[in-house]
Amino acid sequence: MTSGLTLVAVVAAGYLAARVAAGALARRFLIVSGAEYLILGVLLGPRVSGLISANVIDSFGPFITLAIGWMGAVIGSEFHLKRMLRFRGELYQVAFIEAVLVVAIVGGAMLAILTRLFDVPLLDALAPAASLGAIAVTTSASGIALAARRLARDRAARTPLLRQLQVTGGMDAAVGVLAFGIVLCIVHVPPPGDIRPPTPTEWAVITIGIGVVGGILYHLFLGGERDPDRLFVALAAAITLASGTAAYARLSPLLPTMLIGAILANTARNRHEIGLVLHRVQHPLYLVLLIFAGAAWRVPGRLWVLPIVAFILIRMLAKMWSARIATRLSGMSGALGRDWGLALIGQGSLAAAIALNYRIFDDSDLSNVVFTAALVSVLATDLLSARFVRAVVRRHHRRGGLAAAGAPER
Amino acid sequence: MRRAVILLIVFGLVELLRPLGSAGYGSQALLTFGFLILAAYTVGEVAKAMRGPAVVGYMVAGMVFGPAALGTVSEAALTRLEPVSALAVALIAFLAGAELRWEELRDRGITLLKVMTAELLLGFVALSAALYAAHDYVPFMRELPTPQVIAVAVLVASIAIVHSPAVTMALLTETHARGPVARTTLGVVLLTDVVVVLLFSGTLTLARALAPSTQSAGVSVGGISWEILGALLVGLLLGGAVAVYLRFVGEELLLFAVVAAFLGSEVARLAHVEAVLTLLTTGFVAENLSQRQRGKALRHAMERSAAPVFVVFFALSGATIDVMAVAVLLPVLLPLIVVRAAAIWAGTRLGGRWARLPREISGNVWLGLVSQAGVAIGLASVVAEVFPTFGTQLRTLLLALIALNQLVGPILFRRALIQSGEVPAARGALRHPVAAADPT
Repeated sequence: MTSGLTLVAVVAAGYLAARVAAGALARRFLIVSGAEYLILGVLLGPRVSGLISANVIDSFGPFITLAIGWMGAVIGSEFHLKRMLRFRGELYQVAFIEAVLVVAIVGGAMLAILTRLFDVPLLDALAPAASLGAIAVTTSASGIALAARRLARDRAARTPLLRQLQVTGGMDAAVGVLAFGIVLCIVHVPPPGDIRPPTPTEWAVITIGIGVVGGILYHLFLGGERDPDRLFVALAAAITLASGTAAYARLSPLLPTMLIGAILANTARNRHEIGLVLHRVQHPLYLVLLIFAGAAWRVPGRLWVLPIVAFILIRMLAKMWSARIATRLSGMSGALGRDWGLALIGQGSLAAAIALNYRIFDDSDLSNVVFTAALVSVLATDLLSARFVRAVVRRHHRRGGLAAAGAPER
Repeated sequence: MRRAVILLIVFGLVELLRPLGSAGYGSQALLTFGFLILAAYTVGEVAKAMRGPAVVGYMVAGMVFGPAALGTVSEAALTRLEPVSALAVALIAFLAGAELRWEELRDRGITLLKVMTAELLLGFVALSAALYAAHDYVPFMRELPTPQVIAVAVLVASIAIVHSPAVTMALLTETHARGPVARTTLGVVLLTDVVVVLLFSGTLTLARALAPSTQSAGVSVGGISWEILGALLVGLLLGGAVAVYLRFVGEELLLFAVVAAFLGSEVARLAHVEAVLTLLTTGFVAENLSQRQRGKALRHAMERSAAPVFVVFFALSGATIDVMAVAVLLPVLLPLIVVRAAAIWAGTRLGGRWARLPREISGNVWLGLVSQAGVAIGLASVVAEVFPTFGTQLRTLLLALIALNQLVGPILFRRALIQSGEVPAARGALRHPVAAADPT
């Protein structure tokens, strides 16, 4: 049996089993689907069963990069300014402060741990620590969405906290993608040949340029196209090209495609159709991404268990503290309460995507530590992320602190 | 026009970024693939604006940006994208098989068989004779002894008579054509796909007797028979499995169709059976074993994904066309193309009369049989493998012939569909639509 055939058979069977099981679990126990594909990937990968060999992982490289890029476009398409302006500015202020603080706290703490406890030179530790910061800030969007759907049945859904969580989830994704995009610009390997290597600022301009120029050009290219098939072809080509260009230049595909998604969402008349097309293939691509993320995992040495555990703990604390500080700084403590950061603990496929993207460019032990930390965190928190959200929102609702503060939605 | 300008800007930007990157983890393949789809889409739109079939635009884009011309898509990237191309072929074959209904085969099977028999036999004889007569003008055939000339002539003829299910399906999907010309063409094309492999095995045996090959291993009559029977068997099993899935699960049909197509092509590769025939059978069995509504749902899910698949398949096919080789062989190719087209015309007319098919139908069906791709390319590679002395040159000749037919065929088929009044968008402009002459 060839690896390709094995892969198809196992992935298909695993997908169907996971879908049936996860569907039932999600309906009954409010459990988010996603992490099980990571486990499936680990089991199929070269470290456990070997059904997905290192060669297969390499041959699927373009699909993985495309899946990462597609994720960026989906995230970007959520930033529709007109819709965003319907909510009060404080929501974004809180979300932004929370996100930046998490990146800073986790990134700083991991830098200290790597340099002080493991004697990693500062320059070598900078990229993994900053990447961990970027990974840490991401929140499980599917957990919040699932909880919101469930809570829609009761009055708790009307609380501004749920809206705050949705805004924060989006902001976390944007900040995580941006932070990671900048990290790859800073630690960029010089290009081959005799040309002068671009500076980090120039790489950042190139990254943003791929997204902005790409977004504008595709907006003009797509025009008012509404036929779903033609729209799909053009959009798939655009995302493939942008992801491929970014990956070819050894930059993150997430940031340019997020910009393309945002530009199309805000400028295209056919944004609704674009959104539908983007979401149509999102699920299968996420599946591929998560399975390959699991398969690409390598067991780190015992020495590295400490920073992995430290990352998970520091992230949890950072999420809770940052949420509390952001709320206080924005004067929203009354409306949101003190412990809403607990609802942001869940991590989903974006964390796995960033980690896998980092791993693609750097195959060192340190990058494997980053990768492992992200996967462990996703495994530990994603399944129950919706339950965290529901618990926090319900508790907040029971306390009744919201009625006094008034609904922040306009 | 606007899209063409944007494509040029994108092309310039991609070229500008080239020195800054390195091809790791398939990123270059992805970059060029994205560009190729965008280019194919744009040129396809231009072709449509010029009232031509979009598939020709996709192929032209592939040729222009492929390794033989501008080189934006490199040989290495094409190799890396081979699985994508194979998956596209598998999906097209699956879809083509699902288009055939058992009732239709039962009702029109004899008609299709008669048209196909006449067309194939006439095509085979005419092409063999033409190539034998003109062998002094074909560079590598000039020096060959007579038995080898006959061997080459029958081999070329047995491959040149193959049609293209991919082009047929692409045109039917693009134009939404429905009617007797569309159905008859599709039926003949799919039946030919089965028969031609048998015919090829026979001619290969004859060619081996006339020009003993140094390569004893590889291809045998038994092997080729297994390719057909095994394909039918594997397709039957896989189709049955798909029908079971549709009955008991019936969710995520698009993803399931992609997985089934991939699985089918992988199993076919492992079992050494003909992949296109395997997937044709799978689609046919799945569609006809399933309850009508479920089969229809699967077909619709696949049709929704067909547009991108066609863009990918034809753009990648175009990229593999060696423009220079075609140009060099043009003096030999043009007469062959004319003889082939004339034989198809005459054979279809003859078969149509035999099957008592209205002239309006047989007069248009032949235009849909000119295209070539897929199976023919595979058979050309078999010849190159079996006859190392002249096989490579023969393969180049065949690939050039296939490339030209692939470019001309869709234009002719589209014309036939419009002429027969089976294209909804073009209906009304015709005084005598063929649909009215449908005997069934």
